[in-house]
Amino acid sequence: MGSQDITPNRSVLLDLKKRIKLSQSGYKIMKMKRDGLIIEFFEVLEKARKMREGVSSDYDTAMEKITIARAVEGEIAVKSAAYALKTEPEVKLGSKSIMGMMVPKVEATSIHTKMVDKGYGVIETSVYIEEAAMAFEKLLDTLVRAAEVETTMKKLLDEIEKTKRRVNALEFKIIPELKESERFVKFRLEEMERENTTRLKHLKRKGEAAE
Amino acid sequence: MFGRNGKKGNYAYTVARVKAKKSLLMNEEDYSKMLMMTVPEISRYISETGYGKEMTDLAGRMSGIGLLEHATYFNMAKVFGSILTSSTGELYDMVSAYLDKWDVWNLKVILRGKSYGLDAEGIREDLVPAGSLGAESLDKLISLDTDDDIIAEFGRMTHVNFPADVLAAYKASGNLGEIEDFLDKNHYERLTESIDPSSRPSRLFLDYIGEEIDMKNFETILKLKAEGIYGEQVMKYVIPGGRRIDGRQLTLLANAESTESVLSDASQFEFYEGIRDALESGNLRDAVSGLRKYEIQKAKKFSHLYPLSVIPVIDYMIHKENEVRNIRMIARGTESGLDRETIKELLVI
Repeated sequence: MGSQDITPNRSVLLDLKKRIKLSQSGYKIMKMKRDGLIIEFFEVLEKARKMREGVSSDYDTAMEKITIARAVEGEIAVKSAAYALKTEPEVKLGSKSIMGMMVPKVEATSIHTKMVDKGYGVIETSVYIEEAAMAFEKLLDTLVRAAEVETTMKKLLDEIEKTKRRVNALEFKIIPELKESERFVKFRLEEMERENTTRLKHLKRKGEAAE
Repeated sequence: MFGRNGKKGNYAYTVARVKAKKSLLMNEEDYSKMLMMTVPEISRYISETGYGKEMTDLAGRMSGIGLLEHATYFNMAKVFGSILTSSTGELYDMVSAYLDKWDVWNLKVILRGKSYGLDAEGIREDLVPAGSLGAESLDKLISLDTDDDIIAEFGRMTHVNFPADVLAAYKASGNLGEIEDFLDKNHYERLTESIDPSSRPSRLFLDYIGEEIDMKNFETILKLKAEGIYGEQVMKYVIPGGRRIDGRQLTLLANAESTESVLSDASQFEFYEGIRDALESGNLRDAVSGLRKYEIQKAKKFSHLYPLSVIPVIDYMIHKENEVRNIRMIARGTESGLDRETIKELLVI
Protein backbone atom coordinates (compact mmCIF):
# COMPACT_ATOMS: atom_id res chain seq x y z
CA MET A 1 0.00 0.00 0.00
CA GLY A 2 1.65 3.17 -1.14
CA SER A 3 1.52 6.05 1.30
CA GLN A 4 0.35 8.30 -1.51
CA ASP A 5 -2.95 6.35 -1.78
CA ILE A 6 -3.89 7.16 1.81
CA THR A 7 -6.22 9.91 2.75
CA PRO A 8 -4.43 11.71 5.52
CA ASN A 9 -6.88 12.27 8.29
CA ARG A 10 -7.06 11.51 12.00
CA SER A 11 -9.16 8.38 11.72
CA VAL A 12 -6.70 6.90 9.20
CA LEU A 13 -3.83 7.76 11.54
CA LEU A 14 -5.62 6.03 14.42
CA ASP A 15 -6.30 3.06 12.21
CA LEU A 16 -2.67 2.95 11.11
CA LYS A 17 -1.48 3.10 14.69
CA LYS A 18 -3.78 0.21 15.57
CA ARG A 19 -2.50 -1.81 12.59
CA ILE A 20 1.11 -1.10 13.45
CA LYS A 21 0.55 -2.25 17.01
CA LEU A 22 -1.19 -5.39 15.78
CA SER A 23 1.52 -6.10 13.22
CA GLN A 24 4.24 -5.62 15.80
CA SER A 25 2.59 -7.96 18.26
CA GLY A 26 1.96 -10.42 15.39
CA TYR A 27 5.60 -10.10 14.39
CA LYS A 28 6.69 -10.83 17.97
CA ILE A 29 4.43 -13.90 18.17
CA MET A 30 5.51 -15.15 14.73
CA LYS A 31 9.14 -14.72 15.67
CA MET A 32 8.56 -16.66 18.86
CA LYS A 33 6.75 -19.36 16.88
CA ARG A 34 9.59 -19.54 14.37
CA ASP A 35 12.16 -19.86 17.16
CA GLY A 36 10.00 -22.46 18.90
CA LEU A 37 9.62 -24.42 15.66
CA ILE A 38 13.36 -24.30 15.08
CA ILE A 39 14.04 -25.67 18.57
CA GLU A 40 11.40 -28.36 17.98
CA PHE A 41 12.94 -29.10 14.55
CA PHE A 42 16.38 -29.70 16.02
CA GLU A 43 14.89 -32.08 18.56
CA VAL A 44 13.04 -33.95 15.83
CA LEU A 45 16.15 -33.86 13.63
CA GLU A 46 18.14 -35.63 16.34
CA LYS A 47 15.35 -38.18 16.71
CA ALA A 48 15.22 -38.67 12.93
CA ARG A 49 18.99 -39.14 12.79
CA LYS A 50 18.83 -41.85 15.47
CA MET A 51 15.81 -43.36 13.75
CA ARG A 52 17.66 -43.55 10.42
CA GLU A 53 20.56 -45.26 12.13
CA GLY A 54 18.04 -47.63 13.74
CA VAL A 55 16.40 -48.37 10.38
CA SER A 56 19.77 -48.98 8.81
CA SER A 57 21.00 -51.32 11.55
CA ASP A 58 17.64 -53.14 11.81
CA TYR A 59 17.65 -53.60 8.02
CA ASP A 60 21.18 -55.03 8.10
CA THR A 61 20.24 -57.40 10.92
CA ALA A 62 17.02 -58.50 9.20
CA MET A 63 18.82 -59.11 5.90
CA GLU A 64 21.57 -61.07 7.62
CA LYS A 65 19.01 -63.22 9.42
CA ILE A 66 16.90 -63.89 6.35
CA THR A 67 20.07 -64.75 4.39
CA ILE A 68 21.08 -67.26 7.05
CA ALA A 69 17.53 -68.64 7.23
CA ARG A 70 17.45 -69.08 3.44
CA ALA A 71 20.85 -70.73 3.52
CA VAL A 72 20.15 -73.12 6.39
CA GLU A 73 16.49 -73.93 5.78
CA GLY A 74 16.26 -73.24 2.07
CA GLU A 75 14.20 -70.83 0.02
CA ILE A 76 11.26 -73.24 -0.10
CA ALA A 77 10.95 -73.49 3.69
CA VAL A 78 11.28 -69.73 4.17
CA LYS A 79 8.73 -68.98 1.43
CA SER A 80 6.37 -71.60 2.77
CA ALA A 81 6.56 -70.14 6.30
CA ALA A 82 5.82 -66.70 4.88
CA TYR A 83 2.73 -68.05 3.07
CA ALA A 84 1.42 -69.41 6.38
CA LEU A 85 1.36 -66.03 8.12
CA LYS A 86 -2.12 -65.09 9.20
CA THR A 87 -1.76 -61.65 10.73
CA GLU A 88 -1.18 -58.54 8.69
CA PRO A 89 0.20 -55.40 10.24
CA GLU A 90 -2.24 -52.50 10.43
CA VAL A 91 -1.23 -48.86 10.35
CA LYS A 92 -3.44 -46.26 12.04
CA LEU A 93 -3.03 -42.64 11.02
CA GLY A 94 -3.87 -39.91 13.51
CA SER A 95 -2.61 -36.40 14.15
CA LYS A 96 -1.17 -34.33 16.95
CA SER A 97 -0.44 -30.64 17.31
CA ILE A 98 3.00 -29.08 17.64
CA MET A 99 2.68 -25.30 18.21
CA GLY A 100 -0.60 -25.22 16.40
CA MET A 101 0.70 -27.27 13.49
CA MET A 102 -0.89 -30.65 12.82
CA VAL A 103 1.62 -33.48 12.36
CA PRO A 104 0.81 -37.11 11.64
CA LYS A 105 0.78 -39.72 14.37
CA VAL A 106 1.40 -43.18 12.94
CA GLU A 107 0.58 -46.19 15.04
CA ALA A 108 1.05 -49.75 13.93
CA THR A 109 -0.75 -52.69 15.43
CA SER A 110 -0.27 -56.45 15.01
CA ILE A 111 3.36 -56.06 14.01
CA HIS A 112 4.71 -58.36 16.70
CA THR A 113 3.02 -61.71 16.72
CA LYS A 114 4.02 -64.51 19.05
CA MET A 115 5.33 -67.62 17.35
CA VAL A 116 2.33 -69.63 18.53
CA ASP A 117 -0.06 -67.23 16.77
CA LYS A 118 1.85 -66.73 13.53
CA GLY A 119 0.09 -69.41 11.55
CA TYR A 120 2.82 -72.01 11.24
CA GLY A 121 3.74 -74.89 13.49
CA VAL A 122 6.03 -74.29 16.44
CA ILE A 123 7.75 -77.68 16.53
CA GLU A 124 9.27 -77.84 13.06
CA THR A 125 9.64 -74.17 12.21
CA SER A 126 13.30 -73.51 12.66
CA VAL A 127 14.77 -70.94 14.94
CA TYR A 128 16.50 -69.39 11.91
CA ILE A 129 13.15 -68.61 10.26
CA GLU A 130 11.64 -67.38 13.51
CA GLU A 131 14.62 -65.11 14.20
CA ALA A 132 14.36 -63.68 10.66
CA ALA A 133 10.61 -63.09 11.15
CA MET A 134 11.27 -61.31 14.45
CA ALA A 135 14.02 -59.19 12.89
CA PHE A 136 11.65 -58.10 10.08
CA GLU A 137 8.92 -57.31 12.61
CA LYS A 138 11.39 -55.10 14.46
CA LEU A 139 12.42 -53.44 11.18
CA LEU A 140 8.77 -52.76 10.31
CA ASP A 141 8.17 -51.28 13.75
CA THR A 142 11.20 -48.98 13.38
CA LEU A 143 10.11 -48.02 9.85
CA VAL A 144 6.63 -47.02 11.03
CA ARG A 145 8.11 -44.89 13.82
CA ALA A 146 10.66 -43.45 11.41
CA ALA A 147 7.87 -42.56 8.97
CA GLU A 148 6.16 -40.53 11.71
CA VAL A 149 9.36 -38.69 12.67
CA GLU A 150 10.41 -38.05 9.05
CA THR A 151 6.98 -36.67 8.10
CA THR A 152 6.95 -34.51 11.24
CA MET A 153 10.39 -33.22 10.30
CA LYS A 154 9.29 -32.36 6.75
CA LYS A 155 6.13 -30.65 8.00
CA LEU A 156 8.16 -28.70 10.56
CA LEU A 157 10.55 -27.57 7.82
CA ASP A 158 7.63 -26.37 5.66
CA GLU A 159 6.08 -24.60 8.63
CA ILE A 160 9.40 -22.95 9.59
CA GLU A 161 9.81 -21.76 6.01
CA LYS A 162 6.27 -20.39 5.96
CA THR A 163 6.66 -18.68 9.34
CA LYS A 164 10.04 -17.28 8.32
CA ARG A 165 8.46 -15.75 5.21
CA ARG A 166 5.68 -14.22 7.32
CA VAL A 167 8.16 -12.85 9.88
CA ASN A 168 10.29 -11.36 7.10
CA ALA A 169 7.24 -9.88 5.40
CA LEU A 170 6.15 -8.28 8.66
CA GLU A 171 9.65 -7.11 9.55
CA PHE A 172 10.78 -5.81 6.18
CA LYS A 173 7.59 -4.94 4.33
CA ILE A 174 4.35 -4.59 6.24
CA ILE A 175 5.59 -2.84 9.38
CA PRO A 176 7.96 -0.43 7.53
CA GLU A 177 5.20 0.41 5.02
CA LEU A 178 2.69 1.01 7.79
CA LYS A 179 5.23 3.15 9.62
CA GLU A 180 5.92 5.06 6.40
CA SER A 181 2.19 5.61 5.93
CA GLU A 182 1.87 6.72 9.55
CA ARG A 183 4.81 9.11 9.10
CA PHE A 184 3.20 10.43 5.88
CA VAL A 185 -0.22 10.89 7.49
CA LYS A 186 1.34 12.53 10.56
CA PHE A 187 3.38 14.82 8.32
CA ARG A 188 0.34 15.70 6.23
CA LEU A 189 -1.78 16.32 9.33
CA GLU A 190 0.92 18.58 10.79
CA GLU A 191 1.21 20.30 7.43
CA MET A 192 -2.56 20.79 7.35
CA GLU A 193 -2.41 22.04 10.94
CA ARG A 194 0.25 24.55 9.97
CA GLU A 195 -1.71 25.60 6.84
CA ASN A 196 -4.78 26.03 9.00
CA THR A 197 -2.93 28.15 11.55
CA THR A 198 -1.45 30.29 8.79
CA ARG A 199 -4.89 30.63 7.16
CA LEU A 200 -6.45 31.62 10.46
CA LYS A 201 -3.66 34.13 11.12
CA HIS A 202 -4.13 35.53 7.59
CA LEU A 203 -7.88 35.84 8.10
CA LYS A 204 -7.36 37.43 11.48
CA ARG A 205 -4.94 39.94 9.94
CA LYS A 206 -7.41 40.64 7.12
CA GLY A 207 -10.22 41.19 9.65
CA GLU A 208 -8.15 43.50 11.73
CA ALA A 209 -7.19 45.49 8.58
CA ALA A 210 -10.85 45.79 7.58
CA GLU A 211 -11.78 47.15 11.01
CA MET B 1 0.84 -100.68 10.39
CA PHE B 2 2.57 -99.92 7.12
CA GLY B 3 4.06 -103.30 6.29
CA ARG B 4 4.10 -104.77 2.83
CA ASN B 5 4.28 -108.11 4.57
CA GLY B 6 5.00 -109.42 8.00
CA LYS B 7 8.51 -110.55 7.11
CA LYS B 8 11.75 -109.36 8.57
CA GLY B 9 12.95 -107.37 5.61
CA ASN B 10 15.68 -107.54 2.95
CA TYR B 11 18.45 -106.00 5.03
CA ALA B 12 21.39 -107.44 3.08
CA TYR B 13 20.17 -106.15 -0.28
CA THR B 14 19.11 -102.70 0.90
CA VAL B 15 22.18 -102.17 3.06
CA ALA B 16 24.46 -103.16 0.15
CA ARG B 17 22.74 -100.57 -2.06
CA VAL B 18 22.89 -97.94 0.64
CA LYS B 19 26.60 -98.61 1.31
CA ALA B 20 27.32 -98.06 -2.37
CA LYS B 21 25.40 -94.79 -2.28
CA LYS B 22 27.08 -93.68 0.94
CA SER B 23 30.49 -93.89 -0.68
CA LEU B 24 29.32 -91.19 -3.12
CA LEU B 25 28.35 -88.73 -0.38
CA MET B 26 30.43 -85.60 -0.11
CA ASN B 27 33.05 -85.28 2.57
CA GLU B 28 34.69 -82.41 4.39
CA GLU B 29 37.17 -81.92 1.56
CA ASP B 30 34.36 -81.45 -0.97
CA TYR B 31 32.72 -78.84 1.24
CA SER B 32 36.05 -77.02 1.66
CA LYS B 33 36.46 -76.96 -2.12
CA MET B 34 32.93 -75.67 -2.63
CA LEU B 35 33.48 -72.92 -0.10
CA MET B 36 36.06 -71.46 -2.48
CA MET B 37 33.74 -71.57 -5.51
CA THR B 38 31.14 -69.29 -7.06
CA VAL B 39 27.51 -70.45 -7.45
CA PRO B 40 27.94 -71.54 -11.14
CA GLU B 41 31.08 -73.43 -10.14
CA ILE B 42 29.22 -75.13 -7.28
CA SER B 43 26.43 -76.07 -9.71
CA ARG B 44 28.95 -77.58 -12.10
CA TYR B 45 30.76 -79.36 -9.27
CA ILE B 46 27.62 -81.01 -7.90
CA SER B 47 26.53 -81.91 -11.45
CA GLU B 48 29.70 -83.96 -11.66
CA THR B 49 29.14 -85.59 -8.25
CA GLY B 50 25.75 -87.23 -8.58
CA TYR B 51 23.27 -84.38 -9.08
CA GLY B 52 23.81 -84.07 -12.85
CA LYS B 53 20.52 -85.63 -14.01
CA GLU B 54 18.32 -83.42 -11.83
CA MET B 55 20.31 -80.32 -12.74
CA THR B 56 19.80 -81.09 -16.45
CA ASP B 57 16.11 -81.98 -16.03
CA LEU B 58 15.28 -78.75 -14.21
CA ALA B 59 17.61 -76.46 -16.16
CA GLY B 60 14.85 -75.63 -18.67
CA ARG B 61 12.58 -74.22 -15.97
CA MET B 62 14.97 -72.83 -13.40
CA SER B 63 18.37 -71.26 -13.11
CA GLY B 64 21.00 -70.21 -10.60
CA ILE B 65 20.55 -70.91 -6.96
CA GLY B 66 16.88 -71.94 -7.38
CA LEU B 67 17.91 -74.67 -9.80
CA LEU B 68 20.57 -75.90 -7.40
CA GLU B 69 18.18 -76.00 -4.44
CA HIS B 70 15.41 -77.80 -6.32
CA ALA B 71 17.82 -80.22 -8.01
CA THR B 72 19.38 -81.28 -4.69
CA TYR B 73 15.92 -81.79 -3.17
CA PHE B 74 14.76 -83.79 -6.18
CA ASN B 75 17.87 -85.93 -6.11
CA MET B 76 17.31 -86.64 -2.42
CA ALA B 77 13.65 -87.48 -3.09
CA LYS B 78 14.66 -89.86 -5.89
CA VAL B 79 17.28 -91.60 -3.74
CA PHE B 80 14.91 -91.98 -0.79
CA GLY B 81 12.21 -93.26 -3.13
CA SER B 82 14.52 -95.92 -4.49
CA ILE B 83 15.52 -97.03 -0.96
CA LEU B 84 11.88 -97.24 0.02
CA THR B 85 10.86 -99.27 -3.04
CA SER B 86 13.78 -101.65 -2.68
CA SER B 87 13.12 -102.43 1.00
CA THR B 88 10.59 -104.94 2.24
CA GLY B 89 9.01 -106.19 5.46
CA GLU B 90 9.76 -104.48 8.74
CA LEU B 91 12.61 -102.55 7.11
CA TYR B 92 10.08 -100.99 4.74
CA ASP B 93 7.87 -100.10 7.72
CA MET B 94 10.68 -98.30 9.50
CA VAL B 95 12.05 -96.50 6.44
CA SER B 96 8.55 -95.49 5.40
CA ALA B 97 7.75 -94.20 8.91
CA TYR B 98 11.04 -92.28 8.96
CA LEU B 99 10.27 -90.68 5.58
CA ASP B 100 6.73 -89.74 6.60
CA LYS B 101 8.13 -86.40 7.72
CA TRP B 102 8.44 -85.45 4.04
CA ASP B 103 4.74 -86.21 3.51
CA VAL B 104 4.00 -83.90 6.43
CA TRP B 105 6.33 -81.28 4.91
CA ASN B 106 4.48 -81.53 1.59
CA LEU B 107 1.09 -81.24 3.24
CA LYS B 108 2.29 -78.11 5.02
CA VAL B 109 3.52 -76.65 1.71
CA ILE B 110 0.14 -77.40 0.08
CA LEU B 111 -1.97 -75.99 2.92
CA ARG B 112 0.18 -72.89 3.29
CA GLY B 113 0.29 -72.31 -0.46
CA LYS B 114 -3.50 -72.71 -0.74
CA SER B 115 -4.16 -70.37 2.19
CA TYR B 116 -1.92 -67.78 0.51
CA GLY B 117 -3.68 -68.24 -2.82
CA LEU B 118 -0.86 -69.81 -4.83
CA ASP B 119 -1.80 -71.61 -8.01
CA ALA B 120 -1.26 -75.35 -8.45
CA GLU B 121 1.98 -74.88 -10.40
CA GLY B 122 3.42 -72.61 -7.71
CA ILE B 123 2.67 -75.16 -5.01
CA ARG B 124 3.90 -78.13 -7.07
CA GLU B 125 7.24 -76.43 -7.61
CA ASP B 126 7.94 -76.36 -3.87
CA LEU B 127 7.07 -79.99 -3.14
CA VAL B 128 9.74 -82.53 -2.23
CA PRO B 129 8.26 -85.97 -2.91
CA ALA B 130 10.73 -87.78 -0.66
CA GLY B 131 8.10 -89.52 1.47
CA SER B 132 5.64 -92.32 0.84
CA LEU B 133 3.29 -90.11 -1.17
CA GLY B 134 4.28 -89.90 -4.80
CA ALA B 135 3.76 -87.06 -7.25
CA GLU B 136 0.29 -88.38 -8.23
CA SER B 137 -1.00 -88.40 -4.67
CA LEU B 138 0.40 -84.95 -4.05
CA ASP B 139 -1.23 -83.70 -7.27
CA LYS B 140 -4.53 -85.07 -6.03
CA LEU B 141 -4.13 -83.12 -2.78
CA ILE B 142 -3.31 -79.93 -4.70
CA SER B 143 -6.36 -80.35 -6.90
CA LEU B 144 -8.72 -80.34 -3.90
CA ASP B 145 -10.48 -77.07 -3.19
CA THR B 146 -10.81 -76.70 0.55
CA ASP B 147 -8.46 -77.23 3.49
CA ASP B 148 -10.95 -79.67 4.99
CA ASP B 149 -10.88 -81.84 1.87
CA ILE B 150 -7.07 -81.76 1.72
CA ILE B 151 -6.72 -82.69 5.39
CA ALA B 152 -9.31 -85.46 5.09
CA GLU B 153 -7.70 -86.88 1.93
CA PHE B 154 -4.24 -86.74 3.47
CA GLY B 155 -5.61 -88.59 6.49
CA ARG B 156 -7.02 -91.28 4.17
CA MET B 157 -3.78 -91.59 2.20
CA THR B 158 -1.46 -91.81 5.21
CA HIS B 159 -3.86 -93.38 7.74
CA VAL B 160 -3.59 -90.41 10.07
CA ASN B 161 -6.62 -89.72 12.23
CA PHE B 162 -6.92 -86.05 12.97
CA PRO B 163 -8.42 -85.63 16.45
CA ALA B 164 -11.64 -83.61 16.59
CA ASP B 165 -10.15 -81.11 19.08
CA VAL B 166 -7.24 -80.33 16.72
CA LEU B 167 -9.61 -79.80 13.80
CA ALA B 168 -11.92 -77.70 15.99
CA ALA B 169 -8.98 -75.55 17.18
CA TYR B 170 -7.91 -75.05 13.55
CA LYS B 171 -11.45 -74.14 12.51
CA ALA B 172 -11.81 -71.68 15.37
CA SER B 173 -8.49 -69.88 14.93
CA GLY B 174 -7.64 -70.51 11.28
CA ASN B 175 -4.11 -71.12 12.55
CA LEU B 176 -2.47 -73.87 10.47
CA GLY B 177 0.00 -74.31 13.31
CA GLU B 178 -2.60 -76.45 15.12
CA ILE B 179 -2.59 -79.00 12.28
CA GLU B 180 1.15 -78.77 11.69
CA ASP B 181 2.11 -79.34 15.33
CA PHE B 182 -0.26 -82.29 15.57
CA LEU B 183 1.28 -83.83 12.45
CA ASP B 184 4.83 -83.34 13.71
CA LYS B 185 4.00 -85.01 17.03
CA ASN B 186 2.08 -87.72 15.25
CA HIS B 187 5.06 -88.43 12.97
CA TYR B 188 7.30 -89.25 15.94
CA GLU B 189 4.55 -91.27 17.60
CA ARG B 190 4.08 -93.40 14.47
CA LEU B 191 7.80 -93.68 13.92
CA THR B 192 8.46 -95.01 17.43
CA GLU B 193 5.48 -97.36 17.07
CA SER B 194 6.88 -98.74 13.81
CA ILE B 195 10.14 -99.81 15.45
CA ASP B 196 10.06 -103.27 16.98
CA PRO B 197 12.37 -102.99 20.02
CA SER B 198 13.02 -106.74 20.20
CA SER B 199 16.37 -106.58 18.40
CA ARG B 200 19.45 -104.63 19.49
CA PRO B 201 19.77 -102.57 16.25
CA SER B 202 16.10 -101.60 16.38
CA ARG B 203 16.53 -100.54 19.98
CA LEU B 204 19.51 -98.42 18.93
CA PHE B 205 17.36 -96.81 16.24
CA LEU B 206 14.62 -96.22 18.80
CA ASP B 207 17.17 -94.61 21.13
CA TYR B 208 18.36 -92.39 18.30
CA ILE B 209 14.81 -91.25 17.57
CA GLY B 210 14.29 -90.71 21.32
CA GLU B 211 17.33 -88.44 21.38
CA GLU B 212 16.08 -86.61 18.30
CA ILE B 213 12.80 -86.01 20.15
CA ASP B 214 14.77 -84.75 23.17
CA MET B 215 16.60 -82.24 21.01
CA LYS B 216 13.43 -81.16 19.22
CA ASN B 217 11.76 -80.60 22.59
CA PHE B 218 14.75 -78.72 23.92
CA GLU B 219 14.80 -76.53 20.79
CA THR B 220 11.05 -75.86 21.11
CA ILE B 221 11.48 -74.85 24.76
CA LEU B 222 14.33 -72.48 23.84
CA LYS B 223 12.36 -70.98 20.92
CA LEU B 224 9.31 -70.29 23.07
CA LYS B 225 11.36 -69.04 26.01
CA ALA B 226 12.99 -66.48 23.70
CA GLU B 227 9.47 -65.11 23.15
CA GLY B 228 8.64 -65.09 26.85
CA ILE B 229 6.39 -68.14 26.68
CA TYR B 230 6.80 -70.69 29.44
CA GLY B 231 4.92 -73.12 31.64
CA GLU B 232 1.84 -75.00 30.54
CA GLN B 233 1.73 -73.27 27.16
CA VAL B 234 5.13 -74.77 26.29
CA MET B 235 4.10 -78.29 27.31
CA LYS B 236 1.46 -78.22 24.55
CA TYR B 237 4.28 -78.38 21.98
CA VAL B 238 6.32 -81.09 23.65
CA ILE B 239 6.67 -84.36 21.73
CA PRO B 240 6.22 -87.41 23.97
CA GLY B 241 8.73 -90.26 23.75
CA GLY B 242 12.05 -88.56 24.46
CA ARG B 243 14.91 -90.73 25.62
CA ARG B 244 16.84 -88.76 28.22
CA ILE B 245 14.61 -85.80 29.07
CA ASP B 246 11.66 -87.16 31.03
CA GLY B 247 8.37 -85.45 31.83
CA ARG B 248 9.61 -83.99 35.11
CA GLN B 249 12.69 -82.46 33.50
CA LEU B 250 10.62 -81.14 30.62
CA THR B 251 8.26 -79.43 33.07
CA LEU B 252 11.26 -77.93 34.90
CA LEU B 253 12.70 -76.63 31.62
CA ALA B 254 9.32 -75.37 30.44
CA ASN B 255 8.73 -73.52 33.72
CA ALA B 256 12.10 -71.77 33.70
CA GLU B 257 11.28 -68.13 33.04
CA SER B 258 14.28 -67.28 30.87
CA THR B 259 16.91 -68.89 28.64
CA GLU B 260 19.52 -68.26 31.36
CA SER B 261 17.55 -70.19 33.92
CA VAL B 262 17.47 -73.17 31.54
CA LEU B 263 21.26 -73.40 31.88
CA SER B 264 21.37 -75.12 35.26
CA ASP B 265 18.59 -77.55 34.36
CA ALA B 266 20.21 -78.40 31.02
CA SER B 267 23.68 -79.09 32.40
CA GLN B 268 22.85 -82.73 33.03
CA PHE B 269 22.18 -83.51 29.36
CA GLU B 270 24.77 -85.13 27.11
CA PHE B 271 24.45 -82.46 24.42
CA TYR B 272 24.95 -79.64 26.92
CA GLU B 273 28.71 -79.28 26.41
CA GLY B 274 28.26 -78.55 22.70
CA ILE B 275 25.78 -75.75 23.29
CA ARG B 276 26.89 -74.33 26.65
CA ASP B 277 28.67 -71.27 25.21
CA ALA B 278 25.74 -70.47 22.94
CA LEU B 279 23.28 -70.79 25.84
CA GLU B 280 25.41 -68.64 28.12
CA SER B 281 25.60 -65.89 25.52
CA GLY B 282 21.89 -66.29 24.75
CA ASN B 283 22.61 -67.14 21.11
CA LEU B 284 19.73 -69.36 20.10
CA ARG B 285 20.98 -69.90 16.57
CA ASP B 286 24.31 -71.28 17.71
CA ALA B 287 22.57 -73.44 20.30
CA VAL B 288 20.40 -75.02 17.59
CA SER B 289 23.39 -75.42 15.30
CA GLY B 290 25.20 -77.15 18.20
CA LEU B 291 22.24 -79.52 18.64
CA ARG B 292 22.30 -80.43 14.93
CA LYS B 293 26.02 -81.10 15.04
CA TYR B 294 25.55 -83.30 18.10
CA GLU B 295 22.77 -85.19 16.30
CA ILE B 296 24.92 -85.93 13.25
CA GLN B 297 27.84 -87.02 15.44
CA LYS B 298 25.48 -89.35 17.26
CA ALA B 299 24.35 -90.86 13.94
CA LYS B 300 27.98 -91.31 12.86
CA LYS B 301 28.78 -93.17 16.07
CA PHE B 302 26.20 -95.90 15.70
CA SER B 303 26.26 -96.22 11.91
CA HIS B 304 28.86 -99.00 11.73
CA LEU B 305 27.67 -101.01 14.74
CA TYR B 306 25.16 -103.34 13.09
CA PRO B 307 25.92 -103.71 9.36
CA LEU B 308 22.83 -105.77 8.58
CA SER B 309 20.14 -103.72 10.21
CA VAL B 310 18.04 -100.61 9.70
CA ILE B 311 20.82 -98.48 11.16
CA PRO B 312 23.05 -98.12 8.05
CA VAL B 313 19.94 -97.25 6.02
CA ILE B 314 18.78 -94.54 8.42
CA ASP B 315 22.35 -93.33 8.84
CA TYR B 316 22.62 -92.88 5.07
CA MET B 317 19.34 -90.96 4.90
CA ILE B 318 20.41 -88.66 7.73
CA HIS B 319 23.70 -87.98 5.96
CA LYS B 320 22.02 -87.47 2.59
CA GLU B 321 19.65 -84.89 4.10
CA ASN B 322 22.63 -83.26 5.71
CA GLU B 323 24.55 -83.19 2.43
CA VAL B 324 21.65 -81.47 0.66
CA ARG B 325 21.44 -78.95 3.51
CA ASN B 326 25.20 -78.30 3.42
CA ILE B 327 25.31 -77.79 -0.37
CA ARG B 328 22.42 -75.35 -0.13
CA MET B 329 24.05 -73.51 2.76
CA ILE B 330 27.31 -73.06 0.86
CA ALA B 331 25.58 -71.97 -2.36
CA ARG B 332 23.09 -69.60 -0.72
CA GLY B 333 25.71 -68.25 1.65
CA THR B 334 28.12 -67.61 -1.23
CA GLU B 335 25.38 -66.00 -3.34
CA SER B 336 24.31 -63.71 -0.48
CA GLY B 337 27.86 -62.67 0.29
CA LEU B 338 28.08 -64.30 3.73
CA ASP B 339 31.70 -64.61 4.79
CA ARG B 340 33.30 -68.05 4.64
CA GLU B 341 33.73 -68.35 8.39
CA THR B 342 30.00 -67.83 8.97
CA ILE B 343 29.11 -70.42 6.32
CA LYS B 344 31.64 -72.83 7.83
CA GLU B 345 30.05 -72.43 11.26
CA LEU B 346 26.63 -73.14 9.82
CA LEU B 347 27.76 -76.33 8.10
CA VAL B 348 27.03 -79.58 9.89
CA ILE B 349 29.93 -81.91 9.08
